[in-house]
Amino acid sequence: MKNKVYVRSNRSITTISLTRLILILPLIIYGIYKNGVYLYRNNYVNVFGLLKPVIIILGGMIIAGLINFLYEYFIKKHRNENIVDALFSSFHIEYAALLGCIMSINVDIYIYFIVLTVILIISKFIGDRANTICLAFLVIYTISSLIGGFEFANIYEASKTFSYELIDYLIGRTPGGIASTHIILLVVALIGLSVTNNNKTTISVISIASYILIVLVYSLVTKNSFLSILTCNNFLFIASFVATDSVTSCYTNRGMILFGISVSLLSFGLYFVNPILAPILAVLIISLFTHIIDEKIYLLAKNKQR
Amino acid sequence: MNSMVTIKESKNISIDNTVLNYLNPDYIYIPIKEGFSINVKSNTNIYKEDILLKSDDKLIYSPISGKVLGKTSSMSDNNTVIPCVVVENDFREKIKKKKSTEKYINEYSCEDALKLIYKYNACDRDIDINAKTLLINGIDSDPFEKTSSHIIDLYSSKILEAIDALSIILNVDTTILAINNHDTNNVINLSNNIGTYPNIALKLVPDIYPLSFQNILIKNILTKKQIGAGVIYLTVQDIYNIYNVLKRKKPITEKLVTISGNAIESPVVVNVKIGTSMADLIKNCCHIIDKNYYVITNGLIAGNTLTSLNNIVTSDTRSIFLNTVDSTPEKKCINCGLCNKKCPIGLNPKYIREHKEADRSKCINCGLCSYICPSKINFKPFLGGSDEK
Repeated sequence: MKNKVYVRSNRSITTISLTRLILILPLIIYGIYKNGVYLYRNNYVNVFGLLKPVIIILGGMIIAGLINFLYEYFIKKHRNENIVDALFSSFHIEYAALLGCIMSINVDIYIYFIVLTVILIISKFIGDRANTICLAFLVIYTISSLIGGFEFANIYEASKTFSYELIDYLIGRTPGGIASTHIILLVVALIGLSVTNNNKTTISVISIASYILIVLVYSLVTKNSFLSILTCNNFLFIASFVATDSVTSCYTNRGMILFGISVSLLSFGLYFVNPILAPILAVLIISLFTHIIDEKIYLLAKNKQR
Repeated sequence: MNSMVTIKESKNISIDNTVLNYLNPDYIYIPIKEGFSINVKSNTNIYKEDILLKSDDKLIYSPISGKVLGKTSSMSDNNTVIPCVVVENDFREKIKKKKSTEKYINEYSCEDALKLIYKYNACDRDIDINAKTLLINGIDSDPFEKTSSHIIDLYSSKILEAIDALSIILNVDTTILAINNHDTNNVINLSNNIGTYPNIALKLVPDIYPLSFQNILIKNILTKKQIGAGVIYLTVQDIYNIYNVLKRKKPITEKLVTISGNAIESPVVVNVKIGTSMADLIKNCCHIIDKNYYVITNGLIAGNTLTSLNNIVTSDTRSIFLNTVDSTPEKKCINCGLCNKKCPIGLNPKYIREHKEADRSKCINCGLCSYICPSKINFKPFLGGSDEK
């Protein structure tokens, strides 16, 4: 009789989510400054504009936490469960925070919250079969495009023409998602995730390295700006945090390598179709095949051993 | 060693250095294993260390003196009901005749030493006389166990003497005693005394799980060349038994057992007679503070849950835990891959759980996948290969 477990490690969905959220906090704070405080101080937006990045990120997280809690309490009937564990019963809070980070500040918040809520509820019942963040982004992008357009640049960035230098890219002064543009903070968060073993670092490293290589070759051949292609669609943030979503990414070593390479290749290919959506679509498409990739790779390795 | 993990000891199940004796059970139950026959008649009085059971090449001795009551089928060995010889204790510890002690145990010939070791059941492992490395495991198999650590603490000089003798008798090139580097008392104690035995190398290994499992320890601390030339693997319990056999021809009738778990007030290491019932041992050696406990033998992570207290302490029992079950609700697999990454033998527990036909025969039942899983999935019912301690 070996079927009981008496001791468990402290690692749980709660600790993984909290660690990841803490590590993206500097990026979020910078995003709030760039897309809220700075615009308000320079009279580009009113108080609502000041609070909009906070509302998008924090509001999404509250909705996700509430969905998790209600699902655990009423559907799963885990009524004795610790409230924090119920709130973090899945990665939905993290998904909401990450979606907020890559979302445009110009998004209509009604559309944003309605789509987010519906997708999170659906994913609770049918499971995360594809990357939830990418799916939500795709739906919001499509609706926004249909009713008026989707643009990353905030009101200040859109009002002027800038010539960006390397430092601007490094400290996130370029257009992008609400909290996804600061490359230095992104690298620090990525190192933190790797050190705390809370990320599928192989996916991030492989996809970023291969994407940089492809874009570098492309920009050298076509004499386009390397940095602007690299940063125009949140690829670095998406490869670091969204593609590495635990549930919808590969988990075997070779699977993660294949996943990372596929994301970068597909992102580059789709860049010519829709630059903004390219990495989102790439991750979404590859995430549909993660289980097949992992299984086939595991079986191949097993057969090789024999 | 990347795949292994450090397991934090819970404060309420840590054990101090004292050893409790429980050497006077009312009854002793000796399992009659296949191939053994009873050597004594019912209702006769026997001495301690009299032969109770015998097979073609092995003898089993009585741990106590008293009256043989006969056979019973009410006891179990590791949840398997097994017929046992029952001996009622007369509490006199009468011994027929005192045996002489050998002054120098390293003067045995290899053949004579092995004959004695097998005759007195000092060790169940096969000893390869052509092997060139002798590896002694002084690390506890489970992070919550302190049996090996106490054996070294209590009998360090005897253990070093026996290892030294064995290395001479078996004519090995390398002799390694592996102990946990967090086991401070023993590290100091052995470091101070090992100078007398220059042929024994003390290897301090990190406190990570499941390093103490036989094949994992061999793979991690020996070179490929050493493994290729053959390895004799023994535990400190085996070494202490071998010492007693070679020194005094004393059969193995007692052993140290860790009694711990969050359902008892103060965990202890107990010196207990082999054949004592778990019920007797628990009743006499621990104060239970939580009645919703399960009894687990040989480790909280990799151990077996007992179905009744009619189980008995055997030479394989290292620890008994009285513990409550972790009731954290199981969540959906989050595909994190930790089970796959941490499996010390490179299996994919997630795949095995999802595919009934998957090969699970290599699983060593270390339980690390269930321990590490952030979704609190219990992999144990889906795995289950051979135990390897």
